[in-house]
Amino acid sequence: MSQRAGWFAWLIFMIGALYFILPLFGTFVFSLQKVRGSLGFSAYEAAFANPDFLRTFLFSSLIAALTIVTSLALIVPTAFWVNLRMPRWRGVVEFITLLPFVIPAIVLVFGIIRTFGKPVTIFGIPLLPSLLNTELSTNIVLIAAYTVLSLPYMYRATDNGLRAMDVRTLAEAAQSLGASWFTVLMRVILPNLRTALLSGALLTFAIVIGEYTIAAFLARPMFGPYLQLQVRNRAYEAAALTIVAFALTWLAMGVIDLITRQRATPVTGGR
Amino acid sequence: MTFLALTNVRKVFPNATTPAVEDFNLSVQRGEFVSFLGPSGCGKTTTLRMVAGFEFPTSGSITIDGKDITGVRPNQRNIGMVFQSYALFPNMTVADNIGFGMSVARAPKPEIKQRVTEMLALIKLEQLGGRYPYQLSGGQQQRVALARALALRPQLLLLDEPLSALDAKIRVSLRNEIRTIQRQLGITTIYVTHDQEEALSISDRVVVMNQGLIEQVGPPFEIYNFPKTAFVAQFVGTLNAIAVTVADPAAGAVQLAGQTFHLPAAITQRRAGDGVRVALRPELLSPASTGEGDENRLTGTVENVAFLGAVVRVHLRIGDALLLIDEFNNPHLAVPAIGDTLTVYFHRESCLLLDA
Repeated sequence: MSQRAGWFAWLIFMIGALYFILPLFGTFVFSLQKVRGSLGFSAYEAAFANPDFLRTFLFSSLIAALTIVTSLALIVPTAFWVNLRMPRWRGVVEFITLLPFVIPAIVLVFGIIRTFGKPVTIFGIPLLPSLLNTELSTNIVLIAAYTVLSLPYMYRATDNGLRAMDVRTLAEAAQSLGASWFTVLMRVILPNLRTALLSGALLTFAIVIGEYTIAAFLARPMFGPYLQLQVRNRAYEAAALTIVAFALTWLAMGVIDLITRQRATPVTGGR
Repeated sequence: MTFLALTNVRKVFPNATTPAVEDFNLSVQRGEFVSFLGPSGCGKTTTLRMVAGFEFPTSGSITIDGKDITGVRPNQRNIGMVFQSYALFPNMTVADNIGFGMSVARAPKPEIKQRVTEMLALIKLEQLGGRYPYQLSGGQQQRVALARALALRPQLLLLDEPLSALDAKIRVSLRNEIRTIQRQLGITTIYVTHDQEEALSISDRVVVMNQGLIEQVGPPFEIYNFPKTAFVAQFVGTLNAIAVTVADPAAGAVQLAGQTFHLPAAITQRRAGDGVRVALRPELLSPASTGEGDENRLTGTVENVAFLGAVVRVHLRIGDALLLIDEFNNPHLAVPAIGDTLTVYFHRESCLLLDA
C-alpha cells in the first residue's frame, strides 16, 4: 500500500516538474536555433554583444540595490517594532504590505504619474515640484515604487526571521547590558536576521530586474522594457536572455539555500 | 542598611481588571539572596521586570542604594539579568556574549579580554570561549548567560526562572553553583521561581506571593515551619489539609471520623460542631510513638505505599480524609502493607488551623 502511495507521489512530482521544466526546455532549445538548421549559442553572443543589454542590466541592478537598501531601512525597524511593541497592529501592517498584490502595477504607475507628474500641493500650497521632470527625481520615484512592490516579500521575509527568534528576550538581554535601541537593532537583531533579509533582498532583486510596467511608463532604461523590446524584434535573443535571467535566479536561490543550511542553527534553547 | 527597596509598588496592565502587583513593600540588604516564590500569574516576574526596568510601576517607587530608579531606562540601571530562555546572542561566540556589555560601554579591548577570561574561569568554561551558543548544552548556555550578566559588575543580579528549562540533575547542580558564585561575589540577588525546593534551598529570604500580593517574607526555615497564611502552608511543601469538626473549642479539641486530637491552642471564634480545616505536614506524622503523654494519635487503614527514593510515603485513610505520612527510607524500615490498620502519632504543635 505504502509502496503504491510512494509511486503515486513520484508521479505527481514528475508531472509537476515537467510542467515547470518543459516550457523552460522549449525556450532553451528555441534560443539555440538562431542559425537555421543547427543548434548553437549565437543568440547568446548577439544578446551579450548588444551594448543595451549591459547598460540596462547594470542600471536595473543599481536601482534594485537602492530599492533593497530603502526597503531594509523602512521595513526592518517597522517589523521589529511591530513584533516587539505593537503585536496587535500586526494584522493592519500585514494588510498594508499585501496591497501590492491587490493593486496592479499599472494602477500604481498611473497613480504615481498623476500625483508626481505635476507640482504636489496641499490646499493649494505648493509642497513639491513635479518629481518626474528630471532623470534623478524620476529614478527616486522609481525606487520608491519598487519599494512598494517589494513590500510583501521583504516584510514577510523579515517578519518570518523575527518570529524565528525570541526578539523580546534578546532585546531585553541586550538592554540589561547597557545597549540602546539602536545598538540592539544593529548588533543583535540585524545579524540574526541575515538569512531572512538575504532572502527578501534576492526576491526584491528578481522583481526589479524583470519589472516592465512601471519602468516603461516612467520611461527609464531598465532591463524589463529592454527584454520586451527584444521579444518584439529579436525572438532568439529574447529567449536567450530569458534563460540567462532564469540561470541568475536559480543561482541566487542556490546561494540562499547554501547560506540557510550553514546557518540552520537554533536561535535560543539548548541542545 | 537597605540596598534595594520597593515601596508601595503597584502595577496594573492596560485593560486589566485586577492589578498584577499590589501594595508590594520589600527591603533587601546588600549581598542578600532573595527569592520570589509563587504560582504562575502571582506577579513575581512582573515585580522582577519592574526592578529591571522592563515594566514601570503604576504607582510606588524602587530605589537602589538610596537612588530612585523607578523611571530609569533598563540600559541605564546597571542591573544584570538572567532569563529563563538564556537569551544568548546566537550570532556571537561565548566570549563575545560575555564581553557584549563592556563592548557596548566602549571598554578597551584588553580590558574586555581580561574580564571575559575571568568570567569564563568563574563558570568553569575556559575552553569554550570560541563556541557559539548552539554548540553548548542548556546548562552551559545558562552559565554563559550568568557570566554575561556578571561581567559588567552590576549592582544587582536578577534571575528569572533561570533553571526551568533544564533537566532535574543539572538544575540542582547549577542552583548550587549560582549560590556559590553569588556568595563569592557578594552580589545582591533577586531570584524568581515557582519551584519551592529551589527557593528554599538557596535563599537567605523567600517572598511568597499570591494574586499580586505578598503572603509572607522570611527565611526558608520560617516559611516552611511557620507559615502565616493558609496559602503559604499549602503552597510550600506537601501538606495534609483535613476537614475536622470542633469538639471542644476551649481545649482546642477537634474530631476526625470520631477520633479526637488537640490543636496547640484554643479555637477562638468557633463553636462545638463547627467545621474547620487543619494542616499537618506528612513528615511530622510518625507510626512510632515518642511516649509523651500529650501526644496526638489517629488510626486508619493503609490505602497505598509509595516509594519515593529517600522517603516512603504512606497513604492512610481515616474516614473521608486521606492522610499522607512520610518516613525516611532505610533498609530496616518496617513498611506497612496495603489494608493494614496503622496508628500515627504527632505533637499538637504540629497542627496548624487553616481557617482561623
